[in-house]
Amino acid sequence: MASRSMSRSLGNDFYRLTGKRGGIRKSLCLDAPLLLSLFCLAVYGLMVLFSASGENVADVQRQAAAIVVAFIVMIGVAQFEVDFFRRGAPLMYAGGIGVLIIVLLFGSEVNGATAWLDLPGLPSFQPSELEKFLVPMMLAWYMSSRSLPPRFRDLLVCGLIIMLPAMLILMQNDTGTALMVAMSGVFAVLLAGISWRIVIFGATLVIMASPAWYIFLAQAHQKNRILTFFDPYRDPTGAGYNIIQSQIAIGSGGLQGKGWLNGAQSQLDFIPESNTDFILAVLAEEFGLLGVLILIGLYLAVLARGFYIALTAQDTFSRLLAGSIILTFFFYAFVNMAMVSGLMPVVGLPLPLVSKGGTSIVTLLIGFGILMSIHTHKRVLPR
Amino acid sequence: MAEKFKLNDHERETLIFNGRMIVAGVFIFLLISCLIAWMVYLQVYRYDYFAARSDGNRLHSQYVPPNRGLIYDRNGVLLADNRPIFNLTVVRETAQSLDISLDLLRSVINLTDDDIDQYRTRQSRRAVPHTSVPLRYQLTEEEIANIAVNQHLLPGIAVEAQLVRHYPFDASSAHAIGYVSEINKDEMSAMSVETAANYRGTHQIGKTGIEKTYEDLLHGQVGYETVEKNNRGQVMRVLDRTDPIPGRDIVLHMDAKLQVAAERALGDRRGAVVAIDPATGGVLAMVSKPGYDPNLFVTGISRAQLAELNRSGHTPLFNRAVASRVPGSTIKPFIGLAGLYNETITPETEIYDPGYFRLQGRTRPYYDWTWWVDKSGHGAIDLRRAIYQSCNTYFYQLAVNLGIEKIHDYLVTFGFGTNAAIDIPEASAGIVPSEKWKMENRGEIWYSGETPYEGIGNGIFQATTLQMAAAAAAIANHGVLRQPRMLRGTIGSDGEVTDVIFPDNAAQQQLLPSQEQIEIVRNAMVDVVNKPYDSEHRRHEGSAYPVLRESGHPLEYPMGGKSGTAQVVQFQVDSAGNRDNGEVDEQFRTHAMFIAFDASEKSRIAVAVFVENGGGGGSVAFPVAREVLDAYLVPETQNYPELSVVAENDH
Repeated sequence: MASRSMSRSLGNDFYRLTGKRGGIRKSLCLDAPLLLSLFCLAVYGLMVLFSASGENVADVQRQAAAIVVAFIVMIGVAQFEVDFFRRGAPLMYAGGIGVLIIVLLFGSEVNGATAWLDLPGLPSFQPSELEKFLVPMMLAWYMSSRSLPPRFRDLLVCGLIIMLPAMLILMQNDTGTALMVAMSGVFAVLLAGISWRIVIFGATLVIMASPAWYIFLAQAHQKNRILTFFDPYRDPTGAGYNIIQSQIAIGSGGLQGKGWLNGAQSQLDFIPESNTDFILAVLAEEFGLLGVLILIGLYLAVLARGFYIALTAQDTFSRLLAGSIILTFFFYAFVNMAMVSGLMPVVGLPLPLVSKGGTSIVTLLIGFGILMSIHTHKRVLPR
Repeated sequence: MAEKFKLNDHERETLIFNGRMIVAGVFIFLLISCLIAWMVYLQVYRYDYFAARSDGNRLHSQYVPPNRGLIYDRNGVLLADNRPIFNLTVVRETAQSLDISLDLLRSVINLTDDDIDQYRTRQSRRAVPHTSVPLRYQLTEEEIANIAVNQHLLPGIAVEAQLVRHYPFDASSAHAIGYVSEINKDEMSAMSVETAANYRGTHQIGKTGIEKTYEDLLHGQVGYETVEKNNRGQVMRVLDRTDPIPGRDIVLHMDAKLQVAAERALGDRRGAVVAIDPATGGVLAMVSKPGYDPNLFVTGISRAQLAELNRSGHTPLFNRAVASRVPGSTIKPFIGLAGLYNETITPETEIYDPGYFRLQGRTRPYYDWTWWVDKSGHGAIDLRRAIYQSCNTYFYQLAVNLGIEKIHDYLVTFGFGTNAAIDIPEASAGIVPSEKWKMENRGEIWYSGETPYEGIGNGIFQATTLQMAAAAAAIANHGVLRQPRMLRGTIGSDGEVTDVIFPDNAAQQQLLPSQEQIEIVRNAMVDVVNKPYDSEHRRHEGSAYPVLRESGHPLEYPMGGKSGTAQVVQFQVDSAGNRDNGEVDEQFRTHAMFIAFDASEKSRIAVAVFVENGGGGGSVAFPVAREVLDAYLVPETQNYPELSVVAENDH
């Protein structure tokens, strides 16, 4: 008897501690479908990375470590109440801007972009990646305190919130990330119900302005990338080399691929950046169209769960934040795949959860931690 | 505004948000559909194209050049072999910043603008992409080390080993063996498709001499290999290989030691020596001086080196052994044979020589050489004495009695007027004049006044040193001509020599008097060298005998010969009446000639010597001919050189 009451009281204590009913999964505020799809993606990614890095075990170990850290961080983030993010949004946003300024002053340069921060004792770190959820968070905070759809004056403020970090990242010479950070903000504004007229007007403006940008503002390497996109063979051994070789890799993969570790293009070093931005080429060559479809399927699974979480979220802040994060994630994946396969001009963006790079994975999973937090910390509303 | 204080309308906001999410979903569906359609296009519809491109990236057919056949002399001494050298090569596709690399290379190795110009020419001729093109040949070990240190800064640039031709005898054998050098554009465009394919891996081709004549035999068959290369052009593995078939090793009739001896015998004089084995027609030695180092040409001679070669004005590249010129008195034995064959004379026929000859009804005298000495002649003289005394008057008379047509018809059967050599295509044909020839080539009729000069080899008739040697060999061989030839046989993979049998038509066409009559001429030529002074009669000694006697070394074998002195400028002898060449400008001096042979029953060697502007045939050319014969027939004399190069190339 004593022992039974003992166990019950312990159990009660545990329930009291977590404030949750249900198993450990529930008590840790995790979302099983999301967790499972992300885990599959990460494992798939490690397999491809092993091949892409030329069977370099150390690279794969470092990446695996980053993934483990990222999952722990995600689980940690998921424990916070949504209110924490809501209330902390302005402060975190301001902190993010501060770090970006520090990067501009003290950052180290990799591949022409001054986007990295080398802190003693820590792995080097790319703070601009944080902005892809900090900007939507700030916007969600701002717009949820106003009525939707946002009015014109609110839009100007939103524009400022987006432009500030985007410009700072642009100054780091990291066009790809700047573009995606801006897009993550645009998604938040779009989801908030901005009038279609403004959207169409804005889109027209961008289309009209792009030739002017190309003529007057674009730098030589940007022009080159655009020209290369339209005709990779104008400089097949220079600017067009990456895209030509990556298309050859993808196309020669065929339906079933050449087999793991058997991609001729990949293993003979014909694909530059094969373990970072162009890793899709390795995947497509070795696993073929089927492998590509599995990858897209996994991304869609994550996306579908994200949509579900956004749609079932309880308040405007959660909805806007969840919606923007999941759309940003999808766009990362899509833009990378489109660029590697030659559907879009080349911008330096990693393939989420597959490309080598710790920061990208950690920040992505922080985003998913927020999604889980939104899904698992629902207030019981009176009906 | 009232709205400002309105509470958020949750229902409406949810609807707006959900609506936007649906729009986003539709967009995402469209984008993903596009992406999948594009992937299907790339990976299914265009699979064949990209698979081929991928194979094209990694798979490279490369040509494996065959090793060139070696050239041996009759004793197995290497005349041309292949040596490994280390070349600096460039794969243009991999060398992205070539100009920077070249600047760096210039600072670490000896790389001239000339090298770079030559490289660019080769690069422009290269037919197969992704193959290496030589930038500089023959790197020194120090240069190889310097390149290795800087290798990481030199993408696409490599040091490659290559077997190239090497001629151990340098200048001695240059004209006979010839040389290989880089294939030029004309040679490439002249090749048939199959030949061009066979030369895909080959850098050099035979340009002159044996190397050119037997190019087909020496070159061999190109091999192929399919290799997988990575992005940096490194060969990862060889997938398929067809071995090249090396060129045939060949053996020449040439005797390397005799070749060197002949070259030494000529010394610093310009001229030529050809030695022939009378029994086979095989060329034992063929020397032209000045020579040149054929090794300079193998990997491409620079303009500076070429200018240096031509600086002397003595045309070292010109093969004097196969160039034709008037033969002087060396033609007399053959005119004598023509007379015997046509029964214009018999061995017993005598004429009276007052020191000059006059055509019937003309006053102009044709002088004998004796006239310039003491205004007298040989008196009564027959064919044998006319040969060993080199009597002009006799042969003026004989030539006139024969007439130019009979002289022509007879001389052509001795290989004059055509290139009778089987495998020396660069040899000149010479000139055997006739009335027809003169009309065709000079547009004039034959004047009877020209005929006497044909009797003493100072007319229109021209022959090469090679032809003279072959004709001398025919007399040595008791009248039977063998066409001169260089190639003796080929060496099979088992190391056995297979003799090459050439169809030999020359002997059948030959017009020969009776054997006894031939022996008269042959013996007269032995007298040229050996007949001593006759105390009772003036001018009964052989024309070369005084020189033999002065040398102090008696002959150790029977030797026959005939001297000849070809006038460079007719004027010099006729008007000045002065045959002392010491007072004449070197370039106006007479050419000295001598033909000689081993006069044993079974003759082993015949020689023709030509010394350009050398002076008298007996005094200058005879000692050279003797030295060559000594070297061949008396090996124990110091004249037969010990060849240090032979030991060096012990294969």
